[in-house]
Amino acid sequence: MKEAFFKSNFWIGLLAFSVAFPIFVVGSSWLLPGSELWLHFAQTLLPELITSTLILLLGVGAGVSILGTVLAYLVVMVEFPGRSWLEWALFLPFGIPAYVLAFVYLGVFDYSGYAQVWLREYLGIPGFDIRSGHWAIILTFILVFYPYVYMMARASFKRQKVQMIEAGKMLGAKPIRVFWQISVPLARPAIAAGLLVTLMETLADFGVVSLFNYSTFTTAIYSAWGDFRSIEVAAQLASLLVLVSFFLIYFERKARGKAKYYSSDVSHLKAYYAKGVVGWIIFFFVFGIFMLSFAMPLLQILIWSLEVFSTEWSKRYFNYFSSSGILTFLATVLTVTVATILALPSRRKSNSKTLQILIRFSTLGYALPGSVMAVGLLYGVQNISLISIYFGGSSINHILFGSVVLLLFAYVSRFLAIAYNSSSASSEQIKPVYEHSARLLGASRWRLIKEVYFPMMLPGILAGGLLVAVDVMKELPATYLLRPFGWDTLAIRVFELSSEGLYERAAIPALMMVIFGAIIMLLFNKLDNEKY
Amino acid sequence: MNSKHSLALSLIVSTLAMGSITQIQAATNDVTVYSSRKEHLIQPLFQQFTKQTGIEVNYLTGSGGDLIERLKLEGENTPADMFMTVDAGDLWYAGTQGIFQPIVTETIKSNIPSYLRDPNGLWTGLSVRARTIVYSTDRVNESDLSTYGDLASNEWNKKLCLRTSKKIYTKSLVASIIHNRGVDDASEIIEGWVNNLAAVPNAKDSHVMDAILAGQCDVGLVNTYYFGRLIEKNPDAPLKLYWANQDTSGVHVNVSGAGITNNASNPSGAIQLLEWLSSAEAQAIYGSLNKEYPANQNIDSDDIVSSWGDFKQDRMNLSIAGELQADAVKLMQKLGYK
Repeated sequence: MKEAFFKSNFWIGLLAFSVAFPIFVVGSSWLLPGSELWLHFAQTLLPELITSTLILLLGVGAGVSILGTVLAYLVVMVEFPGRSWLEWALFLPFGIPAYVLAFVYLGVFDYSGYAQVWLREYLGIPGFDIRSGHWAIILTFILVFYPYVYMMARASFKRQKVQMIEAGKMLGAKPIRVFWQISVPLARPAIAAGLLVTLMETLADFGVVSLFNYSTFTTAIYSAWGDFRSIEVAAQLASLLVLVSFFLIYFERKARGKAKYYSSDVSHLKAYYAKGVVGWIIFFFVFGIFMLSFAMPLLQILIWSLEVFSTEWSKRYFNYFSSSGILTFLATVLTVTVATILALPSRRKSNSKTLQILIRFSTLGYALPGSVMAVGLLYGVQNISLISIYFGGSSINHILFGSVVLLLFAYVSRFLAIAYNSSSASSEQIKPVYEHSARLLGASRWRLIKEVYFPMMLPGILAGGLLVAVDVMKELPATYLLRPFGWDTLAIRVFELSSEGLYERAAIPALMMVIFGAIIMLLFNKLDNEKY
Repeated sequence: MNSKHSLALSLIVSTLAMGSITQIQAATNDVTVYSSRKEHLIQPLFQQFTKQTGIEVNYLTGSGGDLIERLKLEGENTPADMFMTVDAGDLWYAGTQGIFQPIVTETIKSNIPSYLRDPNGLWTGLSVRARTIVYSTDRVNESDLSTYGDLASNEWNKKLCLRTSKKIYTKSLVASIIHNRGVDDASEIIEGWVNNLAAVPNAKDSHVMDAILAGQCDVGLVNTYYFGRLIEKNPDAPLKLYWANQDTSGVHVNVSGAGITNNASNPSGAIQLLEWLSSAEAQAIYGSLNKEYPANQNIDSDDIVSSWGDFKQDRMNLSIAGELQADAVKLMQKLGYK
């Protein structure tokens, strides 16, 4: 049974298809009759929001690529004051949900925030609306998402450090030239992978854009549904997002080309030692990023929490915490398991184009706004029920709606991309020769997986798992719609309070999330260091 | 299978079991509520109800649109006996989707005035949310204020802050303007508002008031309970409410309210809860929790709330706000009100 399962393309294909199921449901909305709403959107929202979505993607894309790569290069190649703790501290912002960071930034930097009040009072700088224009929201997204590129580029630089140092010596060891001519080209696939995740997240975001009242594609999706109650048009618009992501993935694959990660010797030597003023300049730059993206928001959340602790804290927080914890744990285990099965190397699998595309499809859920994914899932279940009733069976709606099963399904569909990218990056390092040898020696495929593939993929699997865990903990819209009774999570509590403008009270669950996220990121860092 | 595996497996199995048990529990004598009114604003009410009647209330919060979809798809298997929202538009839409059954009981009729109830008796308002003008007492003379429409005049150029058109309270207000003044006047008003904006429309009412306090703008439109919360925390804030349209249509009010679902498994318990929510006692809790106006006209408002004085309400039946909401959004999107 095991043997058959892991050998057969059919079973793997079925697994990928199941994960992609909500995406197919969303895509099938095109089969429904057209709506005059399209005309209205075309005349009003679409021109503006297509432009602003593109500007946002370009700005955020360029920003995270540059910031993430520069930071990674600095911590790997250069020795400067504070380097060793900043190297892991730069991971921490991952634990802060984007919408929390956005409301903290608005509270501090918008017209009425104390940063601007201070500027007006002491420096006489006139106030300004940071929500008009594009730059403030772009900066916010960059500070939220740079860790994706930082993480991938850092791993790549670490693997290729020896090559970089040697090539650098030949070029005369000018750090900036080494960076542009050697490091960046070598790390290009890693940077592209981090960039891809960032762009998909940005496309699917609703929390940050609604706090800034910025128009992106999700604005139209939510308008179709929330304002005009048209789920069909919302689904049609959302499926366009999936299409865009499909192309982004295609380009990322192209950018990666034939480049494969091969581990080489790892050296703890640094290429450059930044001493004196240069060292401190670098320190203040990296430290500044850490302050802005993590320490400052954390401090603000702490202050707010202390203000309202006595009124807001209750023992129900143990429930929110345990709901978040249990859902995160289960969803992570499931997602990682599915990702591992899909990413296992197999010659038969790589020879099937259909299967490759199906697997790619199963990772596209990451670009869907969570609530569209959730409704897609509800309608999918409904359709299965209708088919079942047609053939004399019964409806399964009441079994699945409001059950943990459906919610976990949504998490897997939504976050498979993260786990899959990470596991497949490590499975791509496995040379095909193992499969030959195993066959020659008469070893079963199961033994090959258990004794060769799995141990080799383990670091990638675990790293992917930890990232999925952080994402599940932060997830809001799908959880909000699909959770069973009594399963309110920390993210839901943050949303319910902050959407009423009660930021101080929302700070308490937010603080618990940041701590939760920080623990996960520290685990990630520990694991990451063990790889080298 | 080693012990590690079995531990993980048993964890998964027991969690799934927990999920289904909560489902089963919901099917007994309890009342089950889907609510887009946030947890911290309903939980104290339900707690009090349970204390008095012994009837447990299970609830699930969510966004209005999401919950309506879930109710539609769950059909006759829905665990929900009651659907509660924070907007008449959602109530009206839920009514058109066949989610509610008529609930007009004598108690509710005598507690809640008819313009706050559905004409077909499908739902009733439970608290009144007035949306009116808020202004800076430092920079604005009360005598310069009059109507919502007047905020579109040139006098307020770059002095106005508004909440986003995506928020349901804005949509209902604009729907009421369309109803009272017609589409042409409404277009002119919205166009004037957009021209007068001092900043991109804000995501929250609390941001609108922060902006006025910081001097970014001088006037804005807010639901009064947001003002109440701010004043409770900061009694000296140089901000005041102004009752709009007192010589014309009256202040636009919306309701948070509820109806009994068509497929309720415990309709009598749900009606008992609904009647209790309309009672003087529960209405007082609404006021003290969130500084809203009671829908039950026989009781007094909370102290802070009554200090703002009496005002004339727009008596337009709220189902009209629901019907006109899509038109309101189309108009705002056309005129660039973000």
